[in-house]
Amino acid sequence: MSAYLVSMATYAGFFMILALALNLQWGLTGMVNFGIAGFYALGAYTSGLLSAKAGWPLGLSIPMAIAAGFAAGGLVALLSMRLREDFLAIVTLGVGEVIRLIVLNEDQITEGPRGLRIEAQPFQSLVEPENYPLFYLCFVAVFVAITYWICERIRKAPMGRTLRAIREDDVVAGVLGKNVFRHRVQIFAIGGGFMGLAGALYAHYTQNISPEVFMPTVAMFIWMSVIVGGAGNNRGLLIGAGTVIMFLEGTRFIGDILPWLDAEIMSSVRIITIGLLLIVTLRLRPRGLLPEPKFSYTKR
Amino acid sequence: MTFHMNRRSFLAAGTAALIVPSILRAQESEITIGSLTPNTGGGAPFGPNITASHKRVVDAVNAAGGILGRQVRLYQENSETNPETAVRAADKLINVNGVCAIVGTFSSSVTLGVMPKCQAANVVQMCTSSSSDIPVSDEKGLVFNFQPLSPIWGRAIGELVKARGLESFGLMALNNDFTRSMMDGFIEVVGQEALVNEPFYYNAQQSSYRSEVTQLIEKNPQAVFVPSYITDFTAVYKELYRQGYEGTVITTSLSTGQQFKDAIGDAADGIVHGFPVPAINSPAYKEYLKEAGLEETNSVQHPFGTAGRDQLTTLLLAIEKAGSTAGSDIAKAVWEVTTGEGKTTVYNLAEGLAALREGKEINYSGASGSIEFDEEGMVLGRDFQLSEIRDGEDVVIERLEY
Repeated sequence: MSAYLVSMATYAGFFMILALALNLQWGLTGMVNFGIAGFYALGAYTSGLLSAKAGWPLGLSIPMAIAAGFAAGGLVALLSMRLREDFLAIVTLGVGEVIRLIVLNEDQITEGPRGLRIEAQPFQSLVEPENYPLFYLCFVAVFVAITYWICERIRKAPMGRTLRAIREDDVVAGVLGKNVFRHRVQIFAIGGGFMGLAGALYAHYTQNISPEVFMPTVAMFIWMSVIVGGAGNNRGLLIGAGTVIMFLEGTRFIGDILPWLDAEIMSSVRIITIGLLLIVTLRLRPRGLLPEPKFSYTKR
Repeated sequence: MTFHMNRRSFLAAGTAALIVPSILRAQESEITIGSLTPNTGGGAPFGPNITASHKRVVDAVNAAGGILGRQVRLYQENSETNPETAVRAADKLINVNGVCAIVGTFSSSVTLGVMPKCQAANVVQMCTSSSSDIPVSDEKGLVFNFQPLSPIWGRAIGELVKARGLESFGLMALNNDFTRSMMDGFIEVVGQEALVNEPFYYNAQQSSYRSEVTQLIEKNPQAVFVPSYITDFTAVYKELYRQGYEGTVITTSLSTGQQFKDAIGDAADGIVHGFPVPAINSPAYKEYLKEAGLEETNSVQHPFGTAGRDQLTTLLLAIEKAGSTAGSDIAKAVWEVTTGEGKTTVYNLAEGLAALREGKEINYSGASGSIEFDEEGMVLGRDFQLSEIRDGEDVVIERLEY
């Protein structure tokens, strides 16, 4: 049981990094990103290919994954500078699919639908195999903490105020002399970098990635995490990501408790239950589990 | 924050406290087995058949007293035909339910995706997948595949259509591992010179296949071969029909199930499709039909359901033979109960168990085929059948028997 909880916590860690990144882009700045799965794939494949095929050490390949996500994020923001909200949503959804289709079709590089096998894991030789899952959880937790710290710094800094102003009304922010365009590109790039990081961590954890992993459903899970946790509140997101994993995984145990239920029906019951849990959560806490605190000028 | 326990939360906590130990307790004396099948997603037309077969075998063995004096508990999870979800499901099966084997994975990406976890935990895998990467990745020899690898499908279909006198082919395939390797096998048999176009791949879920189909039939080949799944083939075939192609359309029987025939109607007549089929003359297949409550017909029936029956029967026989639930012991025993000559042939679990308990050496011959494994754990020799759709029905036109 404990081994299972360790690996679910590790998954929650990937979700948390992705959710924090999405929160920067959407919760804080109001830029819709439906292409999360694409950036996630980009990170996973960058680090996976560099280590599995080019033989790079992970100390280089993981930073490259972050760089790739960062560059792609910046590029998408640049190309879609005049787009906002629903138009940006469509572009990012498209980008996510384009990345997945490239990975699928450029099989000479990525192994395509066969999937890429990745042997390398960080600090593999230093940790006993039986302790490795726990070690990896700690490894991911360190990155979650770093991501959280950076996101909190951005949120509390003057830049955070600017970003919220852009989210509420970008024209006003522009009129007040803020460089809306630059901020948007910066934040999209930083968010992309975090998503790349999450992808790399995922790839070295499962050691086998294929294009089917990076379907748009991944993006939906992250959106759920942000909405359930409370958009704009980084601490809420950590809880939100944990809650979504709990919903996704906890519902598996319905089958163990009710073994007489037909497995086919069970599969549907489980998916319905996930939906219901989300609806109930949002009905009870419409602004998320931990809503964004109202900004106050008097309180320090 | 103060915590106030009222009557409702007390009841909720009480129920939870009662249920949780029952999950944990269940593992102590039972043999636990994980079934990870595609009940939703791309494999949804096939998963429920596999699941039902697994359950029937377990119910029967439990009614007869179990294996090694222990009851068998089957934990069934849905892979959603998606490796991302499947890995987490496998994690639960291994670490919470303590399963000794995960059976029933269908798509290659799922089988390969859960493999690192299974290998690390010494868990046996039984699948119906087709990627030739499976034996390569299986470093510990724990994986048994109950379906021929897809190059074998391609070669068999190639042999059968060549025997029908077809000489020039156009080729395109859905872009996944299963169909791509099948195409390679097909080309091996018909030869490069029989191809009128450069073979190419298309992606699933496209809204239109117009340009792909135009390219495919541009040089008007006698026949086109399109390895695919049912959803994309339906759209591809509609486009072939719309463009007025008059040659023979060849595909896998996976693509031409009832759902396809309902969608296409009369226009489906003349499609030729091939598939590894259950050994329909085997007593095990006849027993399977009875167990599943199916009528005996001549057309392809639930090929994956028969494989599901064979997976669990083989596994339980191997556990009995090994006298252990350790993965490597089971894997060794799988060969002993399925492969090799001069043994008592058995067709179902009850016969097998009885023979084993009398101290006999057995060879299980299943409903999906004779179930013999090569040294890599891949099944050898399955009958292969080519059918043609005539008046909305599958008519068998050729059969390769092994």
